[in-house]
Amino acid sequence: MQVTEAFKHAFLKQMLLGFQASAVSTKSMGFQERKNAIKLSADVAMAVARGSRKWTRGLIAGLSEERQNRSFLRLILGEQYESLLKPCHSSWKIPRCKKIVRRSLRICWRKQKKNQSGVLARTLVEKRTQELKRLVPGGKSMDGSSLLDETLDYVLSLRAQVDLMQSLLTTFEASKLRSHSKRRLPERKASYVSK
Amino acid sequence: MEPGGSSGVGSGNSGTYTPEIAESLRFEEEIQSLIHQSFDGSSAAGGSFTALLGLPANQAVELLHHPGPGEPPASAASSSPTAGDLWRLRLGEHHAATDALRLPFGGSSTFVERAARFSVFATDDSPASSSGGGLSPGLKAEPPDSDSPPTLPAPAGRPRRPSKRKECEKSKAKAVAKKSKSAEENTSAVKPAAEENTSGDKLPYVHVRARRGQATDSHSLAERARREKINARMKLLQDLVPGCSKITGTALVLDEIINHVQSLQRQVEFLSMKLAAVNPRIDFSGLDHILSAECGPLAVGSGCGGGASGTAMWASDTAASTGGIRRMPPPQQIWHLDLVHPQQSSTVWENNGAAHPHFLLSPAISLVGYDPAGSVPLNSNQLKMEL
Repeated sequence: MQVTEAFKHAFLKQMLLGFQASAVSTKSMGFQERKNAIKLSADVAMAVARGSRKWTRGLIAGLSEERQNRSFLRLILGEQYESLLKPCHSSWKIPRCKKIVRRSLRICWRKQKKNQSGVLARTLVEKRTQELKRLVPGGKSMDGSSLLDETLDYVLSLRAQVDLMQSLLTTFEASKLRSHSKRRLPERKASYVSK
Repeated sequence: MEPGGSSGVGSGNSGTYTPEIAESLRFEEEIQSLIHQSFDGSSAAGGSFTALLGLPANQAVELLHHPGPGEPPASAASSSPTAGDLWRLRLGEHHAATDALRLPFGGSSTFVERAARFSVFATDDSPASSSGGGLSPGLKAEPPDSDSPPTLPAPAGRPRRPSKRKECEKSKAKAVAKKSKSAEENTSAVKPAAEENTSGDKLPYVHVRARRGQATDSHSLAERARREKINARMKLLQDLVPGCSKITGTALVLDEIINHVQSLQRQVEFLSMKLAAVNPRIDFSGLDHILSAECGPLAVGSGCGGGASGTAMWASDTAASTGGIRRMPPPQQIWHLDLVHPQQSSTVWENNGAAHPHFLLSPAISLVGYDPAGSVPLNSNQLKMEL
């Protein structure tokens, strides 16, 4: 649907770049560190490949909150980094006229007093939306309808990410197998020759 | 009146009737009280009812006093059977009473028929014919009918009714399902009234549309537009997330979406862990080796050794080639074929010393065309062996 080949290409490219960059920055890596580095570069690649979206900005903002990542992000993104960070403020509120807000709230209140049907369903839906806001990056400052929009996008790119990482994994494993078999053959040959 | 009546009845009639008639009189009092209560409650259908109400008790008593069948006057015929039927209604379980009541009326079935015909509450549902047994359920339906003003003709109302109800339910489902606030209350305030009216039977009720016409209010219009938007997006999401198309209701669909997103995020974690596990043998800097090996005869930028020089070259090369890649999409198809049939020539790239740097990434990109959807399932056994 929205996942184009171009997106996948850009994604993979960015991810490999990220791998390289993280390898350059820290050579000695434990397992956890490596895993985090991989995940970080994968997420950044996804965000960069997708372009400018609410959730991508939210994702990068969330990642840059940890200091360790900032250097990596700056390396990857370059000048874009600063420009991406600025508009995405999770506490950024849309300016609203108080009078109008108060009036509409009063009307809502009166209608609620009149009739309490469907309250249970509404609370359930409210709970779900709160949780979805937590899951989707940058979702806290999103409207109900735009939240669904961003969720759609996010799900598509997550799927693409999973597919990509899986194919990477299979190729790595395949190459490993081949390298193993290559290594064993000369050993056997050597043992043969010696005997 | 009652005690006197009962004593009079007891004295005037044969012995068999006395206990039953006493019972029936007691029931009569009960019914009167009940009727008066309900009458006070429902003002709408009051008029005709009271006229009947005034009569039944007295008429019934008179009839009881004179238990011969004889032809009572039409009014009595109309009133008493209805009273009898009402008794049957109120005291459904008291079959003895109904039997007792039937007896004094003698040919009660005819009277009941006439009552049905003359009755003000006659609707299409109530069978105007034959047996009293068949009639009683129809008549039992009558008191709820009395609440609603029988203004509209029933057949005209009926085709409208299901559609109205459907609309009602639809909009109610929408209203209930959505997380909106104000106009929802407006329309949902309408719905309970509509539901009450249609709760008994499929009968004409107060127009819902008249009230919903209030939706020209700017608030409710905006809310409705917002709701439509959200609905459309929910549909898209339903199509996207597998297994959501059958589910109805926003909360459940959102549940599924949340589960899906969580599972995808967990998958990413898991895959990154696996990649980290695979990598120590391969090493980040050795990525170019793997990719070149995979692509066989394709030239590779960096030299044989890994290490800093290789990575530095890689980084610079890729930085330079980012533009280059985009300009050459067609070669990827060729590399896709090569990737499908990977060759074992590790020496090839050593021979091709001076190679084009941008080829480095394109084999990687052709991995994308490796059909990620149909990728080989991970062999965990192999991994364990290697680790």
